[in-house]
Amino acid sequence: MYRYDDIDREFLADRSAEFRDQVNRRLAGELTEDQFKPLRLMNGLYLQLHAYMLRIAIPYGSMDSRQLRKLAWIARKYDKGYGHFTTRTNLQFHWIKLADTPDILDHLASVDMHAIQTSGNCIRNTTADPYAGATPEEVDDPRVWSEAIRQWSSLHPEFSYLPRKFKIAITAAPKDRTAARVHDIGLAIKRNRKGDLGFEVMVGGGLGATPHVGPTIREFLPAEQLLSYLEAILRVYNRLGRRDNRTKARIKILVASLGAEEFGRQVEAEWAAIGAGSDLPAGEMARIRAAFATKTFETLPERSESFEVAKSADPAFARFVRNNVKAHRAPGYAIVEISLKAIGETPGDASADQMEVIADLGERYGQDDIRVTHEQNIVLPHVKLDDLPAVHAALAKAGLATPNINLISDIIACPGLDYCALANARAIPVAQHIAERFANQDRAELIGELKIKISGCINACGHHHVGHIGILGVDKKGEEFYQLTLGGSGAEDASVGKVLGPALPANRVAEAIDAMVDVYLSQRQTGERFLDTLRRTGPAPFKEAVYADAH
Amino acid sequence: MRALTANRLSDGEVVFWSQGRWVERFAEAQLFADEAAAAAEAAEGHAKTETKVVVEPYLIDLVESEGLWAPLSYRERIRALGPTNHPFHGKQSEGGAVIEALQHASGAARSKGRVDLIRRK
Amino acid sequence: MPTLIRCENGAFAAAEDPFTRVADDQELPQGDVIISLQRFLNDGERLIGQHRAVGVVLKSSEEVAALSIDLAKVAVVALDFPAFRDGRAYTQARLLRERYGFEGEVRAVGDVLREQVGFMLRCGFDAFEPADGASCEDLAMAARRQRHVYQRAADGRRPAFAEREA
Repeated sequence: MYRYDDIDREFLADRSAEFRDQVNRRLAGELTEDQFKPLRLMNGLYLQLHAYMLRIAIPYGSMDSRQLRKLAWIARKYDKGYGHFTTRTNLQFHWIKLADTPDILDHLASVDMHAIQTSGNCIRNTTADPYAGATPEEVDDPRVWSEAIRQWSSLHPEFSYLPRKFKIAITAAPKDRTAARVHDIGLAIKRNRKGDLGFEVMVGGGLGATPHVGPTIREFLPAEQLLSYLEAILRVYNRLGRRDNRTKARIKILVASLGAEEFGRQVEAEWAAIGAGSDLPAGEMARIRAAFATKTFETLPERSESFEVAKSADPAFARFVRNNVKAHRAPGYAIVEISLKAIGETPGDASADQMEVIADLGERYGQDDIRVTHEQNIVLPHVKLDDLPAVHAALAKAGLATPNINLISDIIACPGLDYCALANARAIPVAQHIAERFANQDRAELIGELKIKISGCINACGHHHVGHIGILGVDKKGEEFYQLTLGGSGAEDASVGKVLGPALPANRVAEAIDAMVDVYLSQRQTGERFLDTLRRTGPAPFKEAVYADAH
Repeated sequence: MRALTANRLSDGEVVFWSQGRWVERFAEAQLFADEAAAAAEAAEGHAKTETKVVVEPYLIDLVESEGLWAPLSYRERIRALGPTNHPFHGKQSEGGAVIEALQHASGAARSKGRVDLIRRK
Repeated sequence: MPTLIRCENGAFAAAEDPFTRVADDQELPQGDVIISLQRFLNDGERLIGQHRAVGVVLKSSEEVAALSIDLAKVAVVALDFPAFRDGRAYTQARLLRERYGFEGEVRAVGDVLREQVGFMLRCGFDAFEPADGASCEDLAMAARRQRHVYQRAADGRRPAFAEREA
């Protein structure tokens, strides 16, 4: 993994010192709230319902045990002993005091972490495949390019006051675990016929009030020209993106209004004028690449006898393996997903104790490599099959062995009205209710892959538009109601879900899900996921099941 | 009936106006009767000058519930209590009659469904 | 009148502003003037012939390209920040410097705050009319804030990758 050098460290230290100065000026009354707000937002600090919220960047969802332990330490010292992993693969603390934040940022900087550009109308943390460097499917390691983007986008002088926020995702495998097509820019790493590395460039995806699946504007961009091409896209957007209406300021609106072809033409023209001067020199790319190439895997047999024995002996372990353990590119290794969706708990939350358990396991069994997924789970990407029983046992002891990855109770939920100043309705209790209703693991496995995503407002942090079942909290005359959408996907088959019908009161949501699951189970054909059946039958039978007894 | 609320600048804590000072408990908030609109707005006007103490003060509507006053909107109840997924975090952790009343408050801002969703572990 | 602060070779100094900003409906005074793009396109040629320095103020919505052929005759391009959140002038400044090779003064006007001056310098601005009363020292401090930068821009600062090569 990438290690900061002195330049990276001094960069953070300078930024931290600047924010300390700004906080002091605000507390002394030299800065008004209007002047201070954009400054604190650029450092990830929001004022939420109960306290300040600090959003810490986990660059492309990748960290080591030392960093996760520091987050646990901060959770205990400055928060209430827990943190919330988000759909942007960041970590939020919800009980932060303004006066403490300069110290917190210094503590973060001591482990090469920060909160820069986790808010504001700037280029945000890049999303990358959480299986990077581990999955046998990948064409190239997306972290290499994500790190190049991290550096290039940090305090970018031209692109720090864009019309709106800007999010980039990089996937390098046919299976998209980044929701690339609903990012402002989605990049899919490919090889052309000659074997050269390049990117398919998708621009103008996004969720929020007007969800769009991003069209491809370039089928193949030579990889080494990534940064100049990004600069061209951002420059066209910075010049032409709407600034008169916040809800129409995202790049998706610009791309939709110009048309993908015309937008692409303008980008190509700008790119031709920029030239190669903005690309990273080969030496720097090689330096970054080398940082991610240090993993050495032992030569192990494909099959681990102790692992097989444990699977036969312990049905709970076998279930965990079925759902949470994925194929690794090195024989004898596996990718382990740790679910932060224990039944009845808050999706994405981890206690300080749990963070430390994960850090210890990552250090001891996982080559000190820990990832965060946009579905609010954690990944240990390199675990030996031989070690899986021990890892599972330790996770189980910490309440972290919920075997539900991609199942119905693996629900994305934003913090919602329990914390968020923007929310219209709560998301967490709805997720808890649904998870409890489907707590039976056999039934959950029988249902198979079903992605439920819940947002507490139209800003769609919970990605409800791309849930197989999406749930959007709305406020109806001061009451929480929930609108269901059906048929969305954030994966390689990206699509935006369609509204099923009138919004439901909170206490009817879980039963509506149950009714739709029954329809699926009765109608599915061999091998069909919920989404496949729905796409085949259309929404009519599902709609009828939900609303049949509503009259 | 109305009350005046804000978040404290230094730590973000939810605070309520009470006779010239900011208090943390909703139970201690000064209540402004509808007839005393001028007093409420004067307090709000003054609060807005305390820019080194609080952020964005505003008046909230209250509703009577079981003989006590509670914020009308659900959002304001959550601010006065804490998050419903962590019943021991925030102001609700203190417990007591007023907190209980807020948790049970009914009125325009809530349906029965919401009551079911409030968890006590 | 806002103070004018110029930055030359990294040093900030308050400067007398020889230019008068003239609105479109105002009579042109004697001496050096800064006028709108529209007025410049209509009347610029004649004014330059009058042996005075002419500057142009661009709105953030206006294209630098509209000025490109006349740039050599223009003394100042003032780029307006209608609000500090409107970041279009950063692109305008870079295009002026890097694409069109403009060597005159690029002045930041409007909602110009010390917090953004570091970015402005990197994009090629060299004159500022601070809206927040910032002094030369304030701007100098803001400009020095980051010892390192990660990107090439219009200011010729060596990015981190170039520092690493050394």
